[in-house]
Amino acid sequence: MNGLKKFGSKIRVPALSISVALLVGALFIIFTDIEVLGGLLSDPIGALSLGIGRAATAYSALFRGAFGDPETIGKALASNGDIKLWARALRPIVESVVASVPLIFVGLGVSVAFRTGIFNIGGAGQYTMGAVGGTIAALAFGAGVTPAPIAILLVMIFGVVGGAAWAFIPGYLKARVGASEVITTIMLNFIAGQFVFFLVSNFEFIQKPPRIQPVSKELSQFVDLPGILPIAALRMDISIIIALLTAVAVSWFLFRSTRGFELRAAGLNLAAAKYAGIGAGTSIITAMLISGAISGLGGALVAVGTIKQLSPGIAGSVGFTAIAVALVGGTRPSGVVATALVFGLLQHGGSLMQVQTGIPIEMLLFIQALVIAFIAAPDLTLGILKNPFRRRPRSVAK
Amino acid sequence: MTNKKKPVAAARAKTITTAPAKRSTPVGDGADAQQQLVASRVRAGLFALFTLLSLAITNGSAGVEGKFAFWVDKIGGTDVSFSVPVVLLWVAVTAGFGAMAALQFVRGASFRWRLAIGLISPFLVFALLARLLDGTTANLTVFFTSTLLYTVPVGIGALAGIVSERSGILNISVEGKLLFGAMIGSIASSITGIAIAGPIAGAIFGALVSLFFAWLGIRYKVDQIIAGTVINIGALGVTTFAYLRILQPYSEFNRPIGITPIQIPFLSDIPVLGPILFSLSPFFYIAVGLVLFFTYMIYRTRWGLRLRAAGEQPNAAGTVGIDVVKLRYRAMLIAGLLAGFAGSYISLSGTGGFGINTSAGQGFIALAAVIFGAWNPVYAFGAALIFGMTSAATTLLSGLGVTIPPQILLSMPYIVTIIVVAGLIGRVRAPASAGRPYDQG
Repeated sequence: MNGLKKFGSKIRVPALSISVALLVGALFIIFTDIEVLGGLLSDPIGALSLGIGRAATAYSALFRGAFGDPETIGKALASNGDIKLWARALRPIVESVVASVPLIFVGLGVSVAFRTGIFNIGGAGQYTMGAVGGTIAALAFGAGVTPAPIAILLVMIFGVVGGAAWAFIPGYLKARVGASEVITTIMLNFIAGQFVFFLVSNFEFIQKPPRIQPVSKELSQFVDLPGILPIAALRMDISIIIALLTAVAVSWFLFRSTRGFELRAAGLNLAAAKYAGIGAGTSIITAMLISGAISGLGGALVAVGTIKQLSPGIAGSVGFTAIAVALVGGTRPSGVVATALVFGLLQHGGSLMQVQTGIPIEMLLFIQALVIAFIAAPDLTLGILKNPFRRRPRSVAK
Repeated sequence: MTNKKKPVAAARAKTITTAPAKRSTPVGDGADAQQQLVASRVRAGLFALFTLLSLAITNGSAGVEGKFAFWVDKIGGTDVSFSVPVVLLWVAVTAGFGAMAALQFVRGASFRWRLAIGLISPFLVFALLARLLDGTTANLTVFFTSTLLYTVPVGIGALAGIVSERSGILNISVEGKLLFGAMIGSIASSITGIAIAGPIAGAIFGALVSLFFAWLGIRYKVDQIIAGTVINIGALGVTTFAYLRILQPYSEFNRPIGITPIQIPFLSDIPVLGPILFSLSPFFYIAVGLVLFFTYMIYRTRWGLRLRAAGEQPNAAGTVGIDVVKLRYRAMLIAGLLAGFAGSYISLSGTGGFGINTSAGQGFIALAAVIFGAWNPVYAFGAALIFGMTSAATTLLSGLGVTIPPQILLSMPYIVTIIVVAGLIGRVRAPASAGRPYDQG
């Protein structure tokens, strides 16, 4: 009972944040509908109910896209093991989990840095450079050059190195000359994108023939990550398992190892940590290296296993979403995994919503922004929970 | 409120004790002067390296003619072309770099290297262009005007960053406000059919967004970087959403009245210079005016003194009776107006109206300009000019079919920013309290 209560108080703010953000998202859907806006003056009730109906349709599509269509699932259950029906029934939820894999990796990476008091918003850049490393390894060692398991291992190692190297730059600069990691990581995100652009449009080794588009060759011809589900039509590969193992490792590292303790101490109070003999510079560099390595590993696995191609925009909105994931998950590995799954569900559900109802998936970015705001301002969120209209006494601000 | 960066500063002092302790202008305490000396040596070394590089290019460009043209009366009118041996340009650049290296070495920390870089950059870009064009004729009127126009959003955005950071709020949300300003400006201009409604609406909306940011950061003490991230993600989400859902299917909302260039009487008739400097979009002249105005305001008025006090020592400012919270809200209001206005330029100056992610990272380049310009409006505008010139050069070269990977040029502002933030070539110091919440108590 006590445990349940504790759990409840832990997820209260995150759950509330996501629900409120989804509600605001619904309002957004309603009030960006031109037909609703047009009818608002002449027939407000009719227009509003039209809008609410549309929002409900959109969210039901999002739900079906995230978890699967109850009808299809029912058919599959009744079919007595028809592989095709099962594949169709399970595809949405499997794809949602697949969509959460990059978020788990980058969310974990960002969390390690946050825990050390470093605002590493370079997750996107480190993820991208990991993808570069993985792609190069796949092209160089895949397609029979080395046995498949070794090629996969090399892909992972190159990814780790790529991400860690990219994170080392801001880490080193922060530790040695005090350069703000916020600025340097933002800049490095852009440089990483340009670097990929440069790679995939100038090198025959990487660029897809006939060398017109700025994308890499199809990586599935080189390295194929083994799937883990008995149904071949469902593409869920070992990267989710590696992601979960990474989460366990990060959890052990942060909360059970000496080094992790030092990093957290440095994050909580750098002056006190220094007084206790913890090297500030070393902590910062270590944290950034680990952070970048995890994001890079994710980039390599997703580029090679899921997307199967390197392109300049490979990070997409992963960098942004991962910050939301880390903050909502309380920079705790278990929380990060849980939040990444929620955002993965939203991500894949959102794409079905876009296809079926034309509501752009970019709504999710807006929802993430709101969730981050709510999480970062717990007073605000709890204030909403208590009474949204009551003004807080001014003495708090004074 | 104790200085978090102390250990880092200590580490820095430790690493440079091996540096030769020779004469330098005594500024600050020993460690500080030491560090400045090291930085100035690094700069001298870099300039020397550039001298050698440009000497190598000088050697390699014998016999190449740099062909340039200018429009004399107006864009597309009669043109005058001339050609210079590229070698000559490069000899000049090499001499310039050589002089910079020597002066930097001799004069140490008192050498005004920022100014020197500002002076030599145009020549360098010019010489590089000539070398890369390799005999193709380039129209410089187009090059210079597009440089100046690229500068507008970055320059005004940088001004927004300076005003807010001088007040003590680290503002990484310029990018988001540019996007909002661009979209709202386009919509307002399309609906009302009044050209001036666009920039005004963009500025007002930017101010609202900025106040929301300030509210999160000041009232709820949300980490200012997180608050800035919220604005940037939110802006990308909202504007893309609104574009796909409203502006694209109902394109009548995205047909703004473009703000066309104006001809300044008499001045625009000056041959060659007229089309470059005096027939530009009014936004440019407003930008220059704003930069001068805010330079005066920040350094010469009571408001500016208080603003800087709030950004450096908010507790001291609070003690002498300055309402730091109110001051920061006002500064954010001004920053929002500026950034929203800059954003409206993006969608109103071209032909296409608003597009997805139309600001394309210019808000972050503005951030780079803030740092490169050491939080000084004029210097930041100069940095924006240099960045604008690289963009213009990229456009020009790709338009002429010169194959140089444009990604390298496009990465330049970001690389330069990292070098500047790292303090390798000289120290820039942010307002001491930028990024820290203020406890009024």
